[in-house]
Parts: sequence; C-alpha cells; structure tokens
Amino acid sequence: MSKALVPVKSDESHGELIQLVSFNLDQEEYGVDVLKVREIIRMPIVTRVPNTPHYVDGVINLRGKVIPIISMRKKFGLMETENDKQTRIMVMDVDGELMGFIVDAVSEVIRISGSEIQPSPAVVASGIDQECISGVINQAERLLVLLDLEKMFSNDEKNMFSSL
Amino acid sequence: MSPIDCEDQELLEGFLSETTELLEKLDDDLVALEKSSAPDELLNSIFRSIHTVKGASSFLGFDLLVRVTHKTEDVLNRMRKGEVPVTPEIMDVILEATDLVKVLVNDIKAGEIQDREIDGTIAKLIPLLADNLVLQQKSAEAQAAQPAPQAVPPEPSKAAEQPQPAPAPQQPAQANTAPEPPKAAEQPQPTPAQQTQPPPPPEKASSDMVPRKTPPPPKPTEGKSDDLSDNTTVRVDVKRLDDLMNQVGELVLERNRMIQINQNLQQGNINNLDFNEDFSKLTKRMNFVTSELQMQVLKMRMLPVDKVFKKFPRIVRSLARDLGKEVDLQIFGEETELDRSVVDEIGDPLIHLIRNALDHGLETPEIRMAAGKPRTGTLVLAAIHEGNQIIISIKDDGAGIDTERVARKALEKGLVSEEQLAAMSQREIFDLIFLPGFSTKDKASDLSGRGVGMDVVKTNIKKLNGLIEIRSEKGQGSEFILRLPLTLAIIQSLLVEVEGEIYSLPLSSVLETLRVDQRQFHTIGGQESLKLRDIVLPLIRLETVFKVQKQEEQEDFCYVVVVGSADKRMGLVVSKLVGQQEVAIKSLGNYLANIPGIAGSTILGDGRVALIIDPFELIGSNE
Repeated sequence: MSKALVPVKSDESHGELIQLVSFNLDQEEYGVDVLKVREIIRMPIVTRVPNTPHYVDGVINLRGKVIPIISMRKKFGLMETENDKQTRIMVMDVDGELMGFIVDAVSEVIRISGSEIQPSPAVVASGIDQECISGVINQAERLLVLLDLEKMFSNDEKNMFSSL
Repeated sequence: MSPIDCEDQELLEGFLSETTELLEKLDDDLVALEKSSAPDELLNSIFRSIHTVKGASSFLGFDLLVRVTHKTEDVLNRMRKGEVPVTPEIMDVILEATDLVKVLVNDIKAGEIQDREIDGTIAKLIPLLADNLVLQQKSAEAQAAQPAPQAVPPEPSKAAEQPQPAPAPQQPAQANTAPEPPKAAEQPQPTPAQQTQPPPPPEKASSDMVPRKTPPPPKPTEGKSDDLSDNTTVRVDVKRLDDLMNQVGELVLERNRMIQINQNLQQGNINNLDFNEDFSKLTKRMNFVTSELQMQVLKMRMLPVDKVFKKFPRIVRSLARDLGKEVDLQIFGEETELDRSVVDEIGDPLIHLIRNALDHGLETPEIRMAAGKPRTGTLVLAAIHEGNQIIISIKDDGAGIDTERVARKALEKGLVSEEQLAAMSQREIFDLIFLPGFSTKDKASDLSGRGVGMDVVKTNIKKLNGLIEIRSEKGQGSEFILRLPLTLAIIQSLLVEVEGEIYSLPLSSVLETLRVDQRQFHTIGGQESLKLRDIVLPLIRLETVFKVQKQEEQEDFCYVVVVGSADKRMGLVVSKLVGQQEVAIKSLGNYLANIPGIAGSTILGDGRVALIIDPFELIGSNE
C-alpha cells in the first residue's frame, strides 16, 4: 500500500519464523497465517444467497467450485464501502472448507518470529470479536492484529447454519 | 494375526475380486437352489464356484479358507450326486459355511488374517459327509414328514441328522458321533470332528464357539456383506470405453477446428460472414459431441440395480425363516441401470422396506389361510425406468397398513395431536409412519420396533432428491414406490428470474408454467392464491421468500411456475422465465448447507452461480 513497509529481519533466536499475509481493513492492518491462504483474487460477480447472516455476501464460482463469500467489514461491524480496485477476496481454508473473505487490500507476506507476538490488549477494535484475535504484533512502524479465522464463527453461528 | 505373506500383490487382488464375485453369485444360486425344480444345473454351478474359490485359496496358501471350502465342496459334491438331499436345514449349514468363507475373504481383503474359529462350522458340515447319512437322512426326513414342526426350527434339525430324535439330548448324540471319526479321518482333515464335538450336545458346542470371533453366521448377510462388494474400482464394458475414445477423438478434432478458426480470425484471413458460419457450425458440433460425451460418461457410472437386488433373496430367506413366514420373492427389472451414487444409497432404505414388508406386512401362513389367501405371501421387488427417473416398487400382498392403528400409535407417542389427526387424509396418515420414533410395535425386537427404519428410508430418499409414495389397502397389501433421479450430478432445470436474480428449478418438479395478470390473484386468509381450472393454487412469491430487493416498476403480468406432486401443488411467482437448461449440481459446502428452500447451486454459461431451489421444502415450509 501507500506506506512502504520495512522488511522485517527476524531474529532467529526468538522462536520459529511465522509467515503472515497482511491485509488492510478500515485503516487497520491485520495478518493471517500464510498456510491458511489458498489464493487471493479480485472481486468476481457474487451471487446473493437469501436468508443468510448479513455478513455473508453470497457465493462465487471459483473455477467450478462454489464457495461462500464473507464480507470482513460487515462481519466486524465496520462501515461499508464501495468495492474499488484494491478490493480483494482472500480464499482461505477454514476448518477444511474453502471460504472467501472480502478485504480492502492485501499488502504483503511478512516474516516474524513467534516471540514478537504479544497477547492482544483488552480492547482492540470495538466491532471485532475478541475470540478470533490471536495476538498483536507491535513493531516500530506498525501494529498488526493477528487473526485466527477458524475462531471467527462462534459455535452459535455454526449451529445456526446447520439448524437453519 | 499374521500379516498376509503374498508376494504377488496383483495375484492377490485378482483372487479377491474373483472370489468376491463368485461368492455373490453363490449366494444367489444357493437361495435359488431351494426353489428350483431342476437343481442339477444350479448345483453344478454352485459346485464350480466353491471349487474355484478352494483352488485359488489353496494356491495362495490361505489354509483356513481351504479347510472350509473343502468341506463345503465335499458336501455339495454329495448333493450333486444326489446322496444328500436339498433341505432347508442342510442349506442353513451350507449358507453358514459361505458366510464364514466371506468373513475369511474379508480378513484377507483387510490385509490381516485373523485366527478365526472355523471348526464349529466345519463340524456341522462333517456329519453330512458320513456314509450312513443317506439312511439317517431318510429316516430324519420321514420323521420330519410326519411330525412336521420338528424340522421347522433350524437348530434342532441339524442335530437330527446325527441322532434320530432331535430333542433327545446328550447320550444318543454322543453314541452316534462315535462311529464318525474314522470316516472323517479318511478325508485329509486336520481337526477330527471329535475335537469340536466333545461332551456337550454338538449343537451347543459349535454355536458357542462361533460367536467368539466370528459374528453370528446369519447376521453378516443382513446388509453387512456390503463391504464385500468393492466400490473403489469400476469395471467398464470395453465397448463403452471404445465409444468414449471415439467421442474424445471427435472432441479433439473440434478443438483443432476451433484453434484454426481463431487463428484465421486473428490473422484477418476470414471475413465476418464466413466466421459467423464457421463458428455456428462449430458450436453445433461441439454441442453434439459434448452431450454425447456426457451421456457416455454417465452411462459408465451406471450400474444395474441388480447390484443391490441380488442380496435380497438371501435376506428375505433368512428373515422369513426367523419369522416363520412363507414368502415368495419376485424380482423384476434388475437390469435397470442407475448411477452408482444412487445405487450406493438405496441399499439401506430398501432393506428397511423389505424388512417392514416381511415383519409388518405379510402375515403368518395360518393367518393367511384364515383370511382366504394363499399360504405363501408374495413380495414383489421391481425396478423400471420412467423418463429420467427410476421407479422402484416394493409390493407385498400382506395385511396392508391399518390406518386406525397407525393413527392411534402416533397419538399415543405424542407425535401428533388429535386435531391434527382429525384433519388428516389417508395419505397423510400413511406418512406418519415415516416420523422418527414412530413404531406400531410395543416392544423393540431384533428386527423392528425402534422407530428408526422408516425415518432412515425417508432421509435417504430425500437425500437422493427422490420421492416415496405409499399405496396400501387394508387386507390386500401395501406398495412402497420410490422415485429416484437417474443421477445426482446433472439435472434438467428451468431457469427463472426473480427481480433480476436468476434461480434454477428442477424440471422434474415443475408441472406447468403460466403467464398471469397479477389482478387475478386472490387473497384467502392472508394467502395469495390463484384459481387454476378447478383447483385453488396457493402462491409463493419468491422475491418475498428470498428477500430480493424489489425493482421499481411493478408489472401487471408475471409468471407462475406450478410445482409439486400429485396432491400438493403450489405456484411460485417469478418475474420471468429464462429457459430450460441442463445443469450440473454443485454443493454450497458445509457452511451454507442448510438454507431453507435452497438445494444447491450451479454454474451458468457466463460463469455466474445460480442457486437451485428446492420446491418441496418451500411447499413444506408454507404449510
């Protein structure tokens, strides 16, 4: 994105290296484990699916496979914006199923060492479930919120789908 | 116990697939044998099957298998020569032996040979090999002929082959086994009969020993022999494969043609008119070739329904014997083909329906005679093609469904209220038997009474997008009719537009389409309806159910798609009909699996996803 990010030199004595994909969402920067990300695509035509939670934007055709698309902005209770040239869908593996997440922009893959991850402060961003924040990475120039998407849907939400 | 020590894996696989096939055939033949009037040919074929299994297993060094098959073969050989008669009791022993063979083959398939207890079964076979059997058998037969009931329970009658009077316990039994060993020893037989037939009555000994590791013999046939049939590999008719190759060849030609046309266009060697013509020709041919290809691949996935049907004679036989009923099972249309995914799924529901027919439907011979019906009940299992559906019917000439009893039981179990019952048609009362927890039995038995079976039937059939229909007349019998799609992968669908969104409706559930003026709609008790000929058709507005954003102008005319089955119809109001198309069904994944009214999705020609509507769920939710 606009501000160039300084490549992080990892200090190997501080635990193992973790690779993260960082993405932007309403001024904040987030990171997810690179191994969970299958691919990053531009916005295709999304087919709306009726009677689903508001943050489910619909489904798309990913080379012959139909996968659900979740709007991260809606899920985190952020203001909705128009999709622009930077908007991306991150296709991720969540509990063995492919799912797409709409984010404002994807910036880069960064390496950090495990020791750089700090527990998240009590309140990070009001709309985000504390559950799915697995930590915060505080580096000189930036603050990265580490997300665990498998925890993003509470059991209630999962149950709601299966009982619908 | 010992892992299989077989150097040639290919040989082993060949053995397994051949043996599996032979055993399936064997089952058929054995059951047919009892009914057959000219058993010679059948006996020969049975003998050959078991002989082949024996030969192959001795070649590969499966000792246990050789021992069992060897004895069985000997008995069959005597049957073939007419030295041993074909009686239900002897057949029980032989069937038990084949079951044991299956268990052993399964062990080999699983890759580990277990040390199974086989002497019990062998011990039952050995008496049949005794020279004096002919005489004894005759006297046993004579006995069986006079006091008939003695021969009915399978167990004692086997004992009757050794000592004359079946109920007489130990003493004579032992006395009679004494002269046997020498004869048994003539055969190359590692375990002399004596070992397994010591002090207690011989029957006890063997039946006590078998269950130790082997499941009780009759059980594995009741559906569990499924694991014998192998579903990971497919055998395809060579001709079909050749046809497929031809089609692929055509496809390659068309592809080359397409590349050519594209090249010409890029290089400007072709004018617009020519291009149009060439391209439309190409499109037509491509269309033809791909639909042929689709048919052919579909055909390769097809299996004759026989694959499922052929285990039923066995099941019916053993059930009938357990229940003390006489049943004549007739199978029609076993060559009807359907998709393997469907074949895999219908086995269980059919077993449940057959069990039900035998247990609840058909009466005992005495009751039948009293009702003026033939002593033997008839169970007809038939499969036919109809359009792009397959229809399987299970029909018995038994007691039929007693609607009053069903209604009373459902009320007792609290599954319905009295008001609900009062408003129910006969059909709806029939449908009560599908409710989970419903059973007319007061006590659960081995066979039925837990109220699970019909629920399983219903769910499995629904999973296959199938329908189930019940016809029944008290005293005359019942018929269960299953309507199943030929394949689960591709369906004919009607694409409709709802305020700009495209949905797909399975054509199989569409009865008709109408163009109507919205002013003709009536509202009855808050429910929009349309008078269609002589019926009042309740309407569902898809834009309301699916909460579609309304576009500004409201047109007077709209389209109504009438969906449903014979007795439940409903009109779906849509803004436009797009057309008919064959679509491939795609799952929405676990996460969105259970959206009401949506059965799945498909991908349209332009790459967009369209949702497939489940009309029956809509009808259900509207009630």
